[in-house]
Amino acid sequence: MVVYSFYIFDRHTECIYSKSWLPPAHSGAANGTTTTAKSAADDAKLIFGTVFSLRNMVRKLGGDDDAFVSYRTAHYKLHYYETASNLRLVMLTDTATLSMRNVLHQIYINLWVEYVVKNPLSPVEHKGGAGVRNELFELGLDQFIRGLM
Amino acid sequence: MASSKASRLGEEVWKTRMDKVNAELVVLTYGTIVAQLCKDFDSDYVEVNKQLDKMGYNIGLRLIEDYLAKSNTVRRCSNFRETAEMIAKVGFKIFLNITPTITNWTSDGKQFSLVFDENPFADFVELPDDGRAQDELWYSNILCGVLRGALEMVQMQVEAHFISDVLRGNDTTEMRISLIRYIDDELPPEDD
Repeated sequence: MVVYSFYIFDRHTECIYSKSWLPPAHSGAANGTTTTAKSAADDAKLIFGTVFSLRNMVRKLGGDDDAFVSYRTAHYKLHYYETASNLRLVMLTDTATLSMRNVLHQIYINLWVEYVVKNPLSPVEHKGGAGVRNELFELGLDQFIRGLM
Repeated sequence: MASSKASRLGEEVWKTRMDKVNAELVVLTYGTIVAQLCKDFDSDYVEVNKQLDKMGYNIGLRLIEDYLAKSNTVRRCSNFRETAEMIAKVGFKIFLNITPTITNWTSDGKQFSLVFDENPFADFVELPDDGRAQDELWYSNILCGVLRGALEMVQMQVEAHFISDVLRGNDTTEMRISLIRYIDDELPPEDD
């Protein structure tokens, strides 16, 4: 199993955290850092647009209780998890990976709630990702994901 | 049926997943906060109520995430009645180990009361004897704010206020909660 990348979107649809486990050569090519950063932000926007539309479509067809879990292409699989507070977690993995719903749920309860929400110094709204990239969260996430691979 | 399911969930989460703190520590800490606010605002109890509500609101915004994580909630409540059940039997149970009674529904299902038979904030408490606190101070007003903040995060705009309190000499402690509206999902900004 290989995890490619991970994104968190808040209820204001903003990408407040993203992390890639791809070797740097893979993700950016030779375009220089500014374009890489820009394309990463564009990727996040595209991903949000996609999962948001898919989720709405799924709900329209399957009823309000239906949840969109993942989709798969020839090259990757995208896993989606949404909390009742409209926090959305997205993870890209290789195509052979089984459902990561549980993994995303664990990230939410054991890392997000413990290290970001309960951190008294982190703001309630994470505008521009404020308060998310703290050491405990980053370390915990990295260890957790590497433990899976 | 849904109601006994909520009770069981609340019971189980309370027993297995919650860290406990000494109840007297809670009473004294909360009492100190209220007393300090009364001092800071020169016994302007209307302002104290407002401040307590605001503090609660900020707590609620965060507390909801802990609630969702601990109770393993994956889906929204399907109606406001279910929400009320979950607030009383899971929310209050796991954080304060009390289960207020849900009563006095309006016929449109948008307003109900929570009656607190016990209130862990109010042990040993006597309101100031200045002739006004009895009529103006809502001692446990922080709870209204908590509910307002927590429900806002799960897209319900509500209004909550106390209408009676045993500390004021009423027979019961009752909070009134009204659903104002469900908040729509935010949409991503249009690209230009």
